[in-house]
Amino acid sequence: MSLGFFIIRRLLLTIPLLIGVTLISFVLAHIVPADPITANLGQRAISDPTIVAAFRAQWGLDQPLPAQYAVYLRNLLSGNLGVSIHSRRPVLDDLRAYAPATIELATTATLLGVSLGLLLGVLAAVGRGKLIDSVARFVSLIGLSAPVFWLALIALAVFYVRLRVVPGPGRLDATIKAPPTISGLLILDSLFAGRWDALRNAVGHLILPSLVLGSYSMGTITRITRAGMIDSLAQDYVRTARSKGLRERIVWFRHAFRNALIPVVTVIGLTYGTLLSGAVLTETIFAWPGIGRYAYLASTTLDFPAIMGVSLFLSLIFILINLVVDVLYYLVDPRLRAR
Amino acid sequence: MFTVQAKIKRSLTLLAMSALALTMAYSQRVSAQSKALVIGIAENTTSLDPARAFEPESGIILKGTYDTLVTFPPDNVDKIVPDLATWTISTDGLTYTFTLKDGLTFSSGNPVTANDAVFSFNRMKNIKGNPSFLAATISSVSAPDAKTIVLKLTTPDPAILAKLVYPAFAVTDSAVVKQHGGTDAADADKSDTAGSWLDNNSAGTGPYVLTQWDKHNQTTLVRNTKYKGTTPAFDQVILRDIPQAATQKSSLETGDIDIAYDLTPDQSASVKGNSSLKLFEGAGNTVFFLLMNQDKTIGGPLSDPKVDQAIRLALDYSGVLKLTGGSAVTPASVIPVGFADAFGTDKALTRNLDAAKKLLADAGQSSGFTINLEYPDFTYQGVNIGTTAQKVQADLKDLGITVNLKPADVQVALANYRTGKSAFALWFWGPDFIDPQDYVEFLPDGIVGKRANWTSANSDPAIQKVRDQLNIETDTAKRTALFAQMQTYLQQNGPFAPIVQPGIQIGYRADLKGFAYNAQWIIDPATFSRQ
Repeated sequence: MSLGFFIIRRLLLTIPLLIGVTLISFVLAHIVPADPITANLGQRAISDPTIVAAFRAQWGLDQPLPAQYAVYLRNLLSGNLGVSIHSRRPVLDDLRAYAPATIELATTATLLGVSLGLLLGVLAAVGRGKLIDSVARFVSLIGLSAPVFWLALIALAVFYVRLRVVPGPGRLDATIKAPPTISGLLILDSLFAGRWDALRNAVGHLILPSLVLGSYSMGTITRITRAGMIDSLAQDYVRTARSKGLRERIVWFRHAFRNALIPVVTVIGLTYGTLLSGAVLTETIFAWPGIGRYAYLASTTLDFPAIMGVSLFLSLIFILINLVVDVLYYLVDPRLRAR
Repeated sequence: MFTVQAKIKRSLTLLAMSALALTMAYSQRVSAQSKALVIGIAENTTSLDPARAFEPESGIILKGTYDTLVTFPPDNVDKIVPDLATWTISTDGLTYTFTLKDGLTFSSGNPVTANDAVFSFNRMKNIKGNPSFLAATISSVSAPDAKTIVLKLTTPDPAILAKLVYPAFAVTDSAVVKQHGGTDAADADKSDTAGSWLDNNSAGTGPYVLTQWDKHNQTTLVRNTKYKGTTPAFDQVILRDIPQAATQKSSLETGDIDIAYDLTPDQSASVKGNSSLKLFEGAGNTVFFLLMNQDKTIGGPLSDPKVDQAIRLALDYSGVLKLTGGSAVTPASVIPVGFADAFGTDKALTRNLDAAKKLLADAGQSSGFTINLEYPDFTYQGVNIGTTAQKVQADLKDLGITVNLKPADVQVALANYRTGKSAFALWFWGPDFIDPQDYVEFLPDGIVGKRANWTSANSDPAIQKVRDQLNIETDTAKRTALFAQMQTYLQQNGPFAPIVQPGIQIGYRADLKGFAYNAQWIIDPATFSRQ
């Protein structure tokens, strides 16, 4: 099947998928044996029937469940994701406010994690059996097994408090005014506005949480790259390339490395999607105003519109990433194209 | 060595060096922003509209941006003092007349008139939000002239002045609020649209003006240029959302924040040992207690007052204090230590296992029994409720009572607790307003009393009489006597066993002057200055 047809079919399937997601998250959110009024009204307010009634009416909670779902779907079709109960702001505005922070963090984390992982994996494969191999594998082990919240706290204590080489939590210093929001990504927005102070500060704030968040993918990718390269290097085509007289560097990178990349693409897709769903722990420790924290607050306060909005958003992201990964496979692996 | 390896090593070093250079360029920490006070706090604000706000953090912000008719002194809650107005009370306690001070203006430049107060109070009541219960006893508020406000109550309310300190009763600039969709009409809960504007701007008389609330990131206040009182030392107050206590402490140590609001007891030693920091330790407002259901079909053996007293005497209070740490105290009753008319911690019960065993035997339960203890499984105000429940379990084992722990997510556990279906539960109460009157809700037919199914039907007429008198008595000396009676009674009777009152720890930079703690607004940003 042609690539174009493939993409279109996948995109069309997305719509029923997303509707299914809304139904499942609606049902799950309402199965929980708790009531949003207990989460949102104080101890006195909840004893006053007038206040409770006003709250229920305001949020449509006095309607029967199927009616609530129908209202939600109807609003969804006109692009209205509802109003968040705990932020009292349209969910779309909330997503617009918090998603870019997570996208920026997840992207830098993935970039750092992947590049470090690839580097370490190659070094480990090149220096197989030597010290560099052990060091690389040890570092990858830390990334894989150290709990991310522990890494975050240690990183803050060492690099921020003790050594003062990085700025602290948050996306920007308190006293630096944020550049006007265009994309929501501070790096881009600072560039657009020509604000070098904000750019430097934003990059500084990104380093530590990105390293911490990217540590797991770094660990995974180191191992996969190392194994993939060792595997490739044992293949016949490498012996052929060497016997053709090609320099080692070409053998390594044009032949062995490229073929080792295929499983790496899958891992990148998976980890990027996971990171985008918002690493609650990292975001909480680094005071990063992202989707993870928003989702956590939404679920603990039974904020139905926000819960549904976040579920929809994240499902969409995963669907798109999977699509991109599949397309990348198609492009990277000539064997798929030949069919 | 392959050239590949050498090249990789070279590019790695280059990468590392440039990364370091970038961060070094940052690390000239923008220091001692003497013009901005930065507070690190776990954001819990849902609204900055005084008619809707009801959280401690919004209390700090609203203290800086608005004023009320009356207030507390800077560092205690023992008496009410004038803020925007002075007052008189009618002899029947049903009419309060306030006279506004002269020359007051809002941050917009508009003069403060009695109509602004009337508008603000009615709006708050009619929006029917979280704080509107504070106006429950107000039947009407009117402005006979530009400087006089008359408040009429439905029944004498001894705590009304304390309630008026609450930012819900802030005097807002009615012209500005109306301009942005505000209304005080009876259907304000549906028709008022000023909420979102007030979330990012203020319309008050305070020393600061709200300029921005970047949700879950930071809130910024700047100096009100039209403020008539003492100019605050800081031009800007920034509240940064830092949800983790460990991160707050890190930021305090580097000086990126000046005040860390949510420190925990186990961080106290480290902060106290740091010469560039100071630690404020005080008693909090929250009391944790055990609830013992008085309905026999629900509470079983706990419906017997002798069993309840046995449990009160069997708790190892000093052990719980050690567990909680910090500046926690054992309360003598459900009224927090430090409140007006509250017994001091010296009057608190102590463990008396022998007396407890005797009471249990008298109740016919000498062979003990099994009971489920329900509680929300999280840490609140520094108290790990799960660990405290385990301590209760261990303490009661010594009495022969087997306690089965039944933790649940807070939202789930709340349902049973609020509907009076818990036989035995561990919960807490934070004051709705800073006055012992709030704790009358622990008496029969009160909000909390009902949760223990303690009603007029199954309680002592003597305590009902105390309750009824407390609801109408406004004379301060008589109230002190009545509260003493109530607390003494509750130490021997009733369905509650207060366990611990956790402390609060607020860390701040040593060069910050003017720290004052008030149980109502916690800290007032306008009192601080830097040495």
